[in-house]
Amino acid sequence: MQQFSVHKIGPEIKIAGVDLSFTNASLFMVISASIILLFLFLGTREKKIIPDKVQLIAEMFYTFVAKMISDTAGSKAKPYFPFIFSLFMFVLFCNMVGMLPYSFTVTSHIIVTLIMALFIFVAVTIIGFTKHGFKYLSIFVPSGVPAVLLPLITVIEIISYLSRPVSLSVRLFANMMAGHTMLKVFGGFVISLGLLGGWLPLSFSVALTGLEILVAFLQAYVFAILTCIYLNDALNLHH
Amino acid sequence: MKSYFSLVIATLAINTDLFAAEAGMPQLNPKYWASQAFWLILIFTILYISIAKFYLPKIKNNLDDRENKIKDDVDDANKFKDLSESKFKEYEKILADAKKEVIKIQIESRTILDKNIQSKKEAMEKEIENEISKAQKEIDELKRSSLNDIQSISENITSSIIENISGDKLNESSIKATVEDVSKKNIDKYL
Repeated sequence: MQQFSVHKIGPEIKIAGVDLSFTNASLFMVISASIILLFLFLGTREKKIIPDKVQLIAEMFYTFVAKMISDTAGSKAKPYFPFIFSLFMFVLFCNMVGMLPYSFTVTSHIIVTLIMALFIFVAVTIIGFTKHGFKYLSIFVPSGVPAVLLPLITVIEIISYLSRPVSLSVRLFANMMAGHTMLKVFGGFVISLGLLGGWLPLSFSVALTGLEILVAFLQAYVFAILTCIYLNDALNLHH
Repeated sequence: MKSYFSLVIATLAINTDLFAAEAGMPQLNPKYWASQAFWLILIFTILYISIAKFYLPKIKNNLDDRENKIKDDVDDANKFKDLSESKFKEYEKILADAKKEVIKIQIESRTILDKNIQSKKEAMEKEIENEISKAQKEIDELKRSSLNDIQSISENITSSIIENISGDKLNESSIKATVEDVSKKNIDKYL
């Protein structure tokens, strides 16, 4: 679990008695964000009609996220495109940077994913209420449900709505932590089984690394697409 | 082999010890929660602002530009295609007109030529006819004059024959009458 521990880098920063020191987690957030910005800078540096490779990839990310939003949340979600694009890129690059040996996985910390999920939850709820007023509460009362079942269904709907930030954050955090722990365990087996028996866990480790790269991409995609789906619920009120 | 397995178990035990030493998830240690939250919000806000204000409009502009350029180019290509098609039609029309003109000119020139030939032929025929009739007339005259000559030659021959046979000179007028009479009777044989 060494890889998940957070330690201070540089001087202690305390504001109003709260420890806000720069840590290795903050460092890898900065690294991920810098990679994204560098990548986007290189991708938009030259405005070419026929794009080069970096520009092509940047445009592919753009169209990928744009398509994801328009498919799940429709055209009304267009103002939120920059946020979802930033979110997707940030989660994706944090996950991917975490795949590098000796690096730190920002998204393997529940506090990070919880803050993102809570922000999305609060924002979506505010958007829902400002767009639809108290009619937004009808999201808890699905149409076409028999009257007998309605109280039960409503309670279930409220619980599922309130558990959104938890499921969203835990899904990402647990996936990242489990993957990295598994890699660590298999890596430990390679060492402990030595030259004779270490090959099997090593091959597992190689395969798991591939799987983890897939998971890193997939979880970023899932995180972004669930945000789109929640946004869709708030923007287009039909259950 | 046995010793190897014991070694493995021993290292595993040490490892589990190590795991135990690091026990507890660092994620659940709230010591740096505030720090992580603070830096996350700060860094994500910066990232969001620079992406939303700077990079996404740039990418969008570029994509739009490309789309417009492709659309314009396709439109241009279609325009040129239409133009070339209309030009081709024009060209075909000119060609067809020219063909028609050629046929017309051919027919016209042939009729003119035919007319010319006809008139020339007629003139020639008339001339030939004139010549023929003139020649006929000359022949007739020649015949007539030769008849007179023949008559006088006949008279002379007759008188000299008679003179040689009988030794007498006959009356010239009677010889003339006789020759005339004979020649009139037989003239049709020669004319």
